[in-house]
Amino acid sequence: MKRARSAGIAALTAAIAALLAAASARAGDGAAQRGRAVLEAAGGCTCHSDVKGGGGPLAGGRAMKTPFGVFYSTNITPDPETGIGRWSDSEFVRAMREGLAPDGHAYFPVFPYPSFTGMGDEDVLAMKAYLFSLAPVRRENRPHDAWPPFSWRIAASAWRWMFFEPRRFAPDPARTPEWNRGAYLVEAVAHCGECHTPRTLPGALDRSRWLAGSKDGPEGELAPNLTPDADTGIGLWTKTDIAWFLKTGQLPDGDDTEGLMKEVIEHGYGHLPESDLQAIAAYLHSLPPVRNDALAEHEHGHEHGDESAE
Amino acid sequence: MHSIRIALTTGIAAALLVTAIGVAGAASAQDAAKADEGAIKYRQSLMESVGGDMASISNIMKYGLPLTGNLVVHAESLAAHAKLVSTAFERKVTAGQTDAEPAIWAKADEFKEKTKAFETETAKLVEVAKTSDPAALGVQMKATGKACGGCHDNFRKPKEESFKRKGGGGE
Repeated sequence: MKRARSAGIAALTAAIAALLAAASARAGDGAAQRGRAVLEAAGGCTCHSDVKGGGGPLAGGRAMKTPFGVFYSTNITPDPETGIGRWSDSEFVRAMREGLAPDGHAYFPVFPYPSFTGMGDEDVLAMKAYLFSLAPVRRENRPHDAWPPFSWRIAASAWRWMFFEPRRFAPDPARTPEWNRGAYLVEAVAHCGECHTPRTLPGALDRSRWLAGSKDGPEGELAPNLTPDADTGIGLWTKTDIAWFLKTGQLPDGDDTEGLMKEVIEHGYGHLPESDLQAIAAYLHSLPPVRNDALAEHEHGHEHGDESAE
Repeated sequence: MHSIRIALTTGIAAALLVTAIGVAGAASAQDAAKADEGAIKYRQSLMESVGGDMASISNIMKYGLPLTGNLVVHAESLAAHAKLVSTAFERKVTAGQTDAEPAIWAKADEFKEKTKAFETETAKLVEVAKTSDPAALGVQMKATGKACGGCHDNFRKPKEESFKRKGGGGE
């Protein structure tokens, strides 16, 4: 009788333990699932995937051509030796939001921590949970090919000290929840400004021309003007056009998009829920239009004018 | 006297002949330049037709327009235009106001493969458009867009190098 009872208790304990384990696994899965959505909102962290070089997804090594030299992205798979497998939660959060590696050295701002600094705790930790749910890939990080003084580690620290201030995104109570969601995504998670905002000489974002486009996008690509300027920006795009573009990569004139944008749509933005795409569109439509002639295509009339002048 | 006249006549005739050849040569050079220009213009207008149908399908889909019957027409138009793409690039023209990469002719086999893929995907698009299944259409539109990009990736100048951004001059 006593034995039966103790066996029963043991069984019950085991069942409870199993239930608890399942629940915690599910909670873990939940965080990883949410994290996947966060990573997609960040454009799939595609810069960490060396597609051309045949490196595994998120295993780093992709060359990012910048005006300061070529930087190679790092391995963010959970490999303990070459990736981020040994990072604690707080180390991950500090890297993302403050641009400091676990050993305390500052990252070059080619890693967009000045945008990620706006991200909330939950999103950052969910992203980590997702990354840690992936298969580790062993791939050594490659040293950067930057020109001195930008190749010096101290330069990254100096830059950070001069141009960076940690600042969490703060919703604007005067705006709608949709606008605030769009602002949070564009300014922090999706880090649109990192490519689409022109930079000052030392490589800081020129916030007076926020999202007005840049000739020196990563990999030497031109990043178009996202402000609603009718001539040089996307002033003629409807919100529906913007949301559709981010989902499919198709431009309003039926053309497709190439380069890094195509990749970040495929692995990232294209998976965002419709409400997020609409929120981004609402935010972009609310921006002050900025004219940026440096990026503008020449009108057909211009071309004809040049032709007749020849 | 007579021989002088013969010499003069021969000289004039020769001069006339040289001039005529020169004019003919200039004319044929002019013709070639015009044909090159026409090839570029045609390529661009053909691509605009393709883009127009892609945009029309997208507009019906993204706005949920009650014009789903038109989808097949646009898809068929795309499939028909897709077959013209390889013909539009038969003439090799790389200079001028064009975004065509010389790789089109240097890697002709690869280019052909890509235009073939575009033909295949647009033919599939016609079949899917007939079934009026919006989810399947979305998937096939993505595949079609990929076929566009598959060719544009290596054979069209990136936007930062487009002739439209180079002060109007292509060379």
